[in-house]
Amino acid sequence: MPILEVRDLSTHYFTLQGPVEAVDGVSFTVDAGQTFGLAGESGCGKTTVALSIMGLLPSNGRVMGGQIILDGEDLVKKGESELKKVRWKKISMVFQGAMNALNPVINVGEQIAEVILEKEGLKKPEAWKRVRELYELVELQTVRVKDFPHEFSGGMRQRVMIAMALACYPKLVISDEPITALDVIVQNQILNLMKNLQKKLNLSQILITHDLSVIAETSDKVGIMYAGKLVEYADATSIFKRPLHPYTTALIGAYPSIVGEKRTLNFIPGAPPNLISPPKGCRFHPRCPYAKNICGKEQPEYLEKEAEHFVACHFVDELRTIPSLEGR
Amino acid sequence: MTLDTQMTSRSLWRERVSSYTRRIKDFWTIYKKSRMGMVGVSLVLGFIIIAFVAPWFAPYHPRALVGTPFLPPTNEHLLGTDQVGRDIYSELLWGTRVSLMVGLLASAFAVAIGTAIGLLSGYYRGLLDSVLMRITDLFITLPVLPFILILAALLGRNIGNIIVVIAITGWTGTARMVRSQTLSIKERPYVEAARSIGARDSHVMIRHILPNVFPLVFANAIIGIVDAILAESGLSFLGLGDPSQPSWGMILHYANEAGALATGRWWFIIPPGICIMLVTIGFAFSSYSLDQILNPRLRKRRW
Amino acid sequence: MGFKEYVGKRVLQGIITVMLAITLNFIIFRIMPGDPTQAMVGDPRMKPETRIALIAKFGLDKPLLEQFVLYLYNLFSGELGVSFVEIGRPVVEIIFGRKLVNTLILMGSSMFLAFALGIIAGVIAAWKHGTKVDMSSIVFSLVTYSMPVFWFGMLLLLVFSYYISVFPIAGTVTPGVVHANFFEYASDLLYHMIAPMITLAVSFFGGYFLFMRDTILDVFTEDYMLTARAKGLSNRKILFKHAMRNALLPMVSLMGVHLTFLISGATMTETVFSWDGLGRLIYDSVRDADYPVLQGIFLMMAILVVTASLCADITCAYLDPRIKEATE
Repeated sequence: MPILEVRDLSTHYFTLQGPVEAVDGVSFTVDAGQTFGLAGESGCGKTTVALSIMGLLPSNGRVMGGQIILDGEDLVKKGESELKKVRWKKISMVFQGAMNALNPVINVGEQIAEVILEKEGLKKPEAWKRVRELYELVELQTVRVKDFPHEFSGGMRQRVMIAMALACYPKLVISDEPITALDVIVQNQILNLMKNLQKKLNLSQILITHDLSVIAETSDKVGIMYAGKLVEYADATSIFKRPLHPYTTALIGAYPSIVGEKRTLNFIPGAPPNLISPPKGCRFHPRCPYAKNICGKEQPEYLEKEAEHFVACHFVDELRTIPSLEGR
Repeated sequence: MTLDTQMTSRSLWRERVSSYTRRIKDFWTIYKKSRMGMVGVSLVLGFIIIAFVAPWFAPYHPRALVGTPFLPPTNEHLLGTDQVGRDIYSELLWGTRVSLMVGLLASAFAVAIGTAIGLLSGYYRGLLDSVLMRITDLFITLPVLPFILILAALLGRNIGNIIVVIAITGWTGTARMVRSQTLSIKERPYVEAARSIGARDSHVMIRHILPNVFPLVFANAIIGIVDAILAESGLSFLGLGDPSQPSWGMILHYANEAGALATGRWWFIIPPGICIMLVTIGFAFSSYSLDQILNPRLRKRRW
Repeated sequence: MGFKEYVGKRVLQGIITVMLAITLNFIIFRIMPGDPTQAMVGDPRMKPETRIALIAKFGLDKPLLEQFVLYLYNLFSGELGVSFVEIGRPVVEIIFGRKLVNTLILMGSSMFLAFALGIIAGVIAAWKHGTKVDMSSIVFSLVTYSMPVFWFGMLLLLVFSYYISVFPIAGTVTPGVVHANFFEYASDLLYHMIAPMITLAVSFFGGYFLFMRDTILDVFTEDYMLTARAKGLSNRKILFKHAMRNALLPMVSLMGVHLTFLISGATMTETVFSWDGLGRLIYDSVRDADYPVLQGIFLMMAILVVTASLCADITCAYLDPRIKEATE
């Protein structure tokens, strides 16, 4: 049962140099209790998708088309005051780099309590009771409810952000690079914490990251974005065992495996395109090892090539014969 | 120098000049778009022109006693006469020179001192830094007006002293700003690189740090002109101005002393004030627009 | 560094600065051209006995170093010399009396008004930046900043006192009137204070407004503001709780430094409105060459400014939890 449906979302930023087509025709569905992993390089538009859903685009950004359906209502059509009601109560967000995402001059408990007070209509003592419960959920010491952000370590601050995101027990949590800024060991802890919480509270999640290994560990469905477009979309197993888009294959190939033979890492030459004037045709074609003439002229259609497995590439069928990465 | 190196350095020079002119042209295209900035620049230019052509446009010499005192505006005296019989209109025109001169010079000196101190302080750090910063603190907490009054009273009432006094009390803001900029620029890789190949300190400071500090300092300097002009008129109003100069502030001083308020002699009071206001508005608007362009909030727009 | 250490360090700095100011005061008045005793006793208006007594007390016929010691000794026992104008009256009496109170009342209320209006307007303008409201406030602030304080006062008086009789033309209280009780006195004072207060407040509003607006715009670029928006909090909460609390810190430290300008402004305003305060005293003393009084005022104001700046910095440190390391 879908919690959130994004259909054909397009978002542009209007800059002095011209409009940046940051997101172009992206569609996906998030089901109840499931995690949708949105992956791609920096600047491919993943965060913009998140901001579009929450209605948090800066003043020069605008959703140009598409629908975002939550609980039967299209969020794109909602005004700011209506969106405020949805925010945090139905969808909340865990931001990257919680160092700066928390207000340094207000104590942490207060930052969590304020949203409970405003949205849940609880009285102060009850709100703070919930703050302490949330602290326990994320395995923080409840004596520290009145501490300030700078008194916590990076990992602990991320736990605080998670606790805060869960404050109103939302249906959907969007996590934008939640562990990227942390030490590796702490990364693992937080990731496990998030998985447990999700099961416990039956949460749905959109997990945004450039780190495929995180996606592999957590996601049920996966979407690969490149230069503002969704190039491949399927369940996790299919993406990793049978990637159909050259970009996906290249991404997976860029990750070393700790089993198997040593091999040179494959990398993708070139850099992501300028989205003010994206390349004609398929946006990946300048870097694609299999590109042919048509790739530079026509944009590939986004088609369902296998059961619930969508790809946008001209040569999917031909490329299927290339050895995949079984056993990864 | 051999012919080769001569030619190369000349072409390098030409290149640098043309890149500067290009940058200035680009800057001007952007600046033109700001309405406030254009109003400001027009006002400033207008007053500069007036300052130059005052001798030809003023019907009388500003220091000459040409009529009965306290005359209201007439055909002969467009804005009436002051308390000793000088033509106010001429005084206003000539007064432009005083205000502009004081404003530009005082601000320039203040900025020069402040930049030097800030640069040295931030670059060398250590004992020099502490000493200079203590002195800066002292000058910041100095009650400006009493200090200026005392100095002016001691040194005598002439225009040069006023400029010096305003400069001495006005460099602290620039000093602090330049110092903090220097501190951060000093850490940048290209500065480290330059020093590691043996560049002299003065070279690093002048060629690397100063150009980066310049935009911030420039906008500040223009606001400094505003403050300087206001300071000069304030000083003159309080009776410490140079009596031999037709300063707008002095006119207001005499107006106050002669009880122009109580007798409703508005031509004595309103025009000089409007002149001061227009000049300062000109510089203030320009400074604001300049600041918006040179120091944009390029950081991520979240709002 | 802990809070207590910070306070200690700042106080020490303050004391050093005050010592420097005291020394500067001493030096300035002794380097006058001609007879170095001019500053204290060199006025024909002074009675011979007084002159002799002062020369003895301040050691004006002794070498400079001895003078300095005597000067310090006298200073700390509250002896600042004797006025030239009010013949024989101790400077201390003149300064620390009614005039000080009048000035403080005027300066205090004007500054408070300008500050309160400035920061609220600054916050709102930043929120609506780019709109007409914002631009007109900026223009208004720049114009009032550019206006000479004293001229604005004169203008007010011209219009509202000469042409229309709303405000009194001069003075702190109506001359020649004996007040029955404190309340009458207070209302008379307030009535006379309205015009000068408006003059000062309007003059300073611009500076506070522009600074606050700039600071808030800087705060807006911080990550935690995005978090606040994402939480769906009311605009009031976002602006006045999250943004303003962070923006107030630089404002408070600005205030401390700003005091010197307030003093200049007050001087000019008091002169225009014939308000019986320290500012007017400065003006009169300059006009009448009453150097002992000038010395005394200079010193007192230096100490005032240093103290104010110190208080501002300490308040800042107190309010900012990052600096106020737990002394708990």
